[in-house]
Amino acid sequence: MIQTMGLSKSFDGVEVLKSIDLHVAAQEIVVLLGPSGSGKSTLLRCLNGLEQLSGGSVEVNGVRVDSDMPVSRKKANFNEIRRNTGMVFQQFNLYPHRTVLGNVIESLLVVKKMQRKEAELIGMQMLERVGLTDKRDEYPSRLSGGQQQRVAIARALAMQPSIMLFDEPTSALDPELVGEVLEVMKQLAKEGMTMVVVTHEMKFARQVANRVVFMDGGVIVEEQHPDLFFSQPQSDRARKFLNQLSEH
Amino acid sequence: MSLLWDNIPFLLKGAYYTLLVTVVSMFFGLILGMIIAIARLKGNRPIRWLARFYVSIIRGTPAFVQLLIVYYGLVDYGITLGPLTAAFVALSINVSAYLSETFRGAIQSIPKGQTEAAYATGMTSWQALRRIIFPQAARVAIAPIGNTFIGMLKETTLVSVITVTELLRSAQLLVAQYYVYMPFYLGIAAMYWIMSTVFSAILESIEKRLSKVY
Repeated sequence: MIQTMGLSKSFDGVEVLKSIDLHVAAQEIVVLLGPSGSGKSTLLRCLNGLEQLSGGSVEVNGVRVDSDMPVSRKKANFNEIRRNTGMVFQQFNLYPHRTVLGNVIESLLVVKKMQRKEAELIGMQMLERVGLTDKRDEYPSRLSGGQQQRVAIARALAMQPSIMLFDEPTSALDPELVGEVLEVMKQLAKEGMTMVVVTHEMKFARQVANRVVFMDGGVIVEEQHPDLFFSQPQSDRARKFLNQLSEH
Repeated sequence: MSLLWDNIPFLLKGAYYTLLVTVVSMFFGLILGMIIAIARLKGNRPIRWLARFYVSIIRGTPAFVQLLIVYYGLVDYGITLGPLTAAFVALSINVSAYLSETFRGAIQSIPKGQTEAAYATGMTSWQALRRIIFPQAARVAIAPIGNTFIGMLKETTLVSVITVTELLRSAQLLVAQYYVYMPFYLGIAAMYWIMSTVFSAILESIEKRLSKVY
């Protein structure tokens, strides 16, 4: 479903991803772990082209982007990838000038060119999935962080993606609001969504992930089933990372 | 004072031309300014460079000189514009450079995450600009656009030198006829002030409405 080959990414000559080969199968839930600066968010953002590739290739749902393709072709292919890929951001990135329902249906109107009535029907279904139908006419600024993130998830789901990418979805939330967002994500996992999740929520990784991909210094250090990863990490770096976490 | 009252209809006709030049120049200035702002933000390298050069030239030279070039200078190349047309052209170009900077700043002030969220749901860069960035940038830009508008109202006095009988030139004609200065100049000063005040009030109400939405 997702396949990167020799994917590399540099910022101003500093290589933050070094020849990454990542494979994600349909309905798999992969959690990317690693210390900050390890490149996990960058890798996620390369999958839907929010970061330009410096080298290698990305293939999602059979649509391939090579770093040496002409710019216009890369743009078109990533646009196609994004139509089937939802993304949830750390800072929610809701549109402040649109209501909750307006946020959810925006791309149905603009990208899928749906009639408003039809779009609102789908929008309300999505809000129901995240338990926020009663907030449909509020503006995002009136919602709590947890509610905003659930709206953002509904907005991504409205496009009926086959893959969801989560970029530290709970990192900007007050601790008491983390649970409601994770609950929605668990529900999605249960329904068979393919998910790639960058997170620091170890409990989520342990309970929900099919595979943990541990990154450090721009490379994938090890990939394991979470049971194995958390009990018997193979690499020194993973052991060190887990030790540091348990000290807190 | 009665001299002023007797000539109010003539001055009102001048005020009409002042308003006409202001509104038409702002209208085309806004369109042109928007195109230049987009060229600077989204264009390829030569287009970006060209847009920057345009802004630099226009902002770096007096509007007065630009006006003279458009009205008198172009005649040398066989382009003869009427005074009013020349006024529209010169002032539209002049104000577009300033407005393009306002637009650019407003667009850049919108967090990058907004564009990314739009892209992530499949929008093209034009769709993201139109539906997500512009509506938010408009709110940021409205106050400086208002300032530019008020400034333009007064800048139109320049076009009196190319014989557009706007408010200032109307007063000058009356001065030449009656050999008195104060009533006419004070009278038009008051009329400029009234027009600015009315526009300020209108712009303020637009600003309020825009900021109430969210």
